[in-house]
Amino acid sequence: MNNQLKVLRAMRNWSQAELADRLDVSRQAVNAIETGKYDPSLPLAFKLARLFAMPIEEIFDDGHKGHDDGE
Amino acid sequence: MATKDMTMGNDPGKARAPSMTVMVAIAIGTALFAGGFAGFNEAQIEAGDAAVASWAAPLIAIGLGGAVLAFYVWRRADGFRSWSRRKRIYWTSLIFSGALGLVTALLLQDGPGDGLISNSALTPTLAVALSLLWVVGLTIALALYHRSADDHERYAYHQSGLAGFYAFVFPCPVWWVLWRADMAPPVDAMALFGLSLLVNAAVYLWFKFR
Repeated sequence: MNNQLKVLRAMRNWSQAELADRLDVSRQAVNAIETGKYDPSLPLAFKLARLFAMPIEEIFDDGHKGHDDGE
Repeated sequence: MATKDMTMGNDPGKARAPSMTVMVAIAIGTALFAGGFAGFNEAQIEAGDAAVASWAAPLIAIGLGGAVLAFYVWRRADGFRSWSRRKRIYWTSLIFSGALGLVTALLLQDGPGDGLISNSALTPTLAVALSLLWVVGLTIALALYHRSADDHERYAYHQSGLAGFYAFVFPCPVWWVLWRADMAPPVDAMALFGLSLLVNAAVYLWFKFR
């Protein structure tokens, strides 16, 4: 899954370790999410959204365009 | 709103953060010192010169390593105080597990066997002590660990746990049926345990640090 984490972090001039401390996770967790090697759980995704004051779908992109209509 | 949210968490910029590399280096230095001292002691014994008891080397090394670590913690006290509760519990569980392993290794090394990896007989007292150390110590360490593991850590732990399980499930019945057909020696539980742990550690490190 693609995400904007690295860009959002850079805009605030935070290191991976600083972001990790703000999220209360390890630096390896931030690195793994940034590089797309690991998709965060829903609670962590919400934590990220609150921290950056953005909707989850603006931080993460699962590659699907538009709304699913259930079909 | 954004400003408020951004300042809600810890403020890591204020305190000088402790370095994990330094703490790992202190641990490695302690182990190297203990090994070097033990080697020197062995050489003294072989040469017929005076030597100290075998437990002295690790004890002195732990003392020195502990003193260096205490000094580092004291120098970086503000940084450690800024750690979150989760991070403190996590590192406590890791240090506790390491100490548990070291004490177990020392007891086995100094026991009546041929060293760390041996099937030779143990005294009942040592066997009961080691069993209690393993069960009680591991229970405490794991309780602390599971309370403090973050999202990504849990993922690595589950993947490696599954890999370790497979490393037991595949070879064990194969070995057993081969033994029943006199095509292999009797199943060695500790060999399978060791294999399972090795696979577990390798997969954990891969998912955690790749």
